[in-house]
Amino acid sequence: MRIPDEERALAEAARAGDQTAFAGLVRLHQRRAYLVARAIVTVHEDAEDAVQDGFVRAWQAIERFDPSQGFSAWLNRIVANAALDITRRRKVRSTEELTDALRAPFRDPAQDAELKSRLAEALAQIPERARSVIVMHDIEGFTHVEIGEMLGIPGGTARSDLHHARQKLRELLKDLRG
Amino acid sequence: MTDDLKFPVNGVKPDRDSLDDSLTALIRDAYAPPGGDSYWPGLEGRIMARIASHSETDAPWWNVLAPWARPALVAAAAIFALAGVVNQQFVETDSQLAYDSILQSVTPDVVATSEEIISVERGTDGATISYFLSH
Repeated sequence: MRIPDEERALAEAARAGDQTAFAGLVRLHQRRAYLVARAIVTVHEDAEDAVQDGFVRAWQAIERFDPSQGFSAWLNRIVANAALDITRRRKVRSTEELTDALRAPFRDPAQDAELKSRLAEALAQIPERARSVIVMHDIEGFTHVEIGEMLGIPGGTARSDLHHARQKLRELLKDLRG
Repeated sequence: MTDDLKFPVNGVKPDRDSLDDSLTALIRDAYAPPGGDSYWPGLEGRIMARIASHSETDAPWWNVLAPWARPALVAAAAIFALAGVVNQQFVETDSQLAYDSILQSVTPDVVATSEEIISVERGTDGATISYFLSH
């Protein structure tokens, strides 16, 4: 795996205790880390908590990080664990609550309100882990193996979850897709 | 079986099961943070603030003394030097006292011995001793 020079330099400086260098790593990786967390916890506030917890844990464990490995993969595993911790602490959320959480971030007023609403409802009906897999794979482009490592499941299971999640989503939205 | 499956482009099989782009775009939008791009600098600031506060909390209690380390070392060196000088003066005084005490304790003995010799030589038994010493 080719690690960008900038990331390697920042990671090495951060390992030596440089907080400014670690801020550079935060800037580089926070978007992807947020999506990993959001894919798992669904709700924005929980995703932010998981990202913050993940980066704090990464900072505390930075001495154990091997700069020859990718920082992103290491960080995303930590963030995913933080997000999974949050889901374990939380009670099971109702479909309504999840639908609201997924509907809220839409920003484009021109988008069809019904489509947005139906998509949110459909996503809320997909099992939690399968929903995480479909978001990580189809939105952020993680591989099955990477998703498996983050969620603590085999890559084959992630592949199977993805297939079933897509099937379910298509089924739930078939009347909207002409 | 199509050519795509026989000869995948760049070694990657096309994902025929993937969602269409419009649906993917909608999901991406649903999972975006509120506030768009302006959200990220704020998140970075909050993360770094938490890290800074954790670093302060995690620091050992003796780190509070860190700013005093240099002045403390200088003071310790000065005290050490002063103690050395004082100790040296005590050693010299002790030597002088020891020397003086030796002188004071030796001199009376010598005098006493001389007096004894004189007294012996001048005493009533002087003739007897002189006799023994000469034979």
